[in-house]
Amino acid sequence: MRRDVFQAIADPNRRVILSMLVTGKLNVNQVADQFDITRSAVSQHMKILTECGLVSITKKGRERYCEAKLDKLSEIWDWLNQYKKFWEGKFDAMEQALKEIQAKNKKDGNKK
Amino acid sequence: MGTKSNLVDNPVRQEVNITRIFDAPRELVFKMWTDPELVEKWWGPKDFKNPVCELDARVGGTMRIVMQAPDGLMIPTSGVFTELLEPERIVFKNFKEDDDGNAQLEVINTVTFTEENGKTTMTLNALAVRITPEACASIEGMNVGWNQSIDRFAYVLTGINH
Repeated sequence: MRRDVFQAIADPNRRVILSMLVTGKLNVNQVADQFDITRSAVSQHMKILTECGLVSITKKGRERYCEAKLDKLSEIWDWLNQYKKFWEGKFDAMEQALKEIQAKNKKDGNKK
Repeated sequence: MGTKSNLVDNPVRQEVNITRIFDAPRELVFKMWTDPELVEKWWGPKDFKNPVCELDARVGGTMRIVMQAPDGLMIPTSGVFTELLEPERIVFKNFKEDDDGNAQLEVINTVTFTEENGKTTMTLNALAVRITPEACASIEGMNVGWNQSIDRFAYVLTGINH
């Protein structure tokens, strides 16, 4: 199955995991302790996050540390920027259309 | 949500906010979104046509707009109205699809209108959230096309700027 960042952040628990990792590396147990859901469910989310490239896990002795790869999130920000540009372009056109409509209404009003 | 932590700060929040002030009454600015004849005037970039512009402006109603580029390429976009409060507020949903055309994200667009001294302030808040299985089912077979539309639009804008 193809993984991407959008899928990674689609789940609220995964968003919380990412939020937790923003401030620094945590080991898997520290992350799991924050959740009511089962440890295996947390592991599953972690697996998806790593497959999506948003989290990397490094082993240090017996501990497994998770680290967020936030640069990957730029894929989302890029899309949002595109989306913003899309609407801004449309709103420029809307402004123009509003001017034309009002000018026409005024003209038609004067005729009456 | 199965979490004990109370983390408010969310680095993966996905939002776009735009504010515009128009020199026009808000009834008219509101109508720019709900009257197909008016939507047609601003939806497509310059030199584009909108051979299909269907808007069923009521809760649960759909919008379906097909833009036609000067070279003939058809670009469809669709959405669903989820809230309409004339002339104050419009909420509609659309969907971001992946390269294979599967819906990835649901985008909740909230447009608000306030008027002061004959000028209307319009805001757009677009919030991208997880796609629900129900939403997947409701848009099955619906040609959502937002990615294509946005890519194409960016391309056209680049062309105009050069």
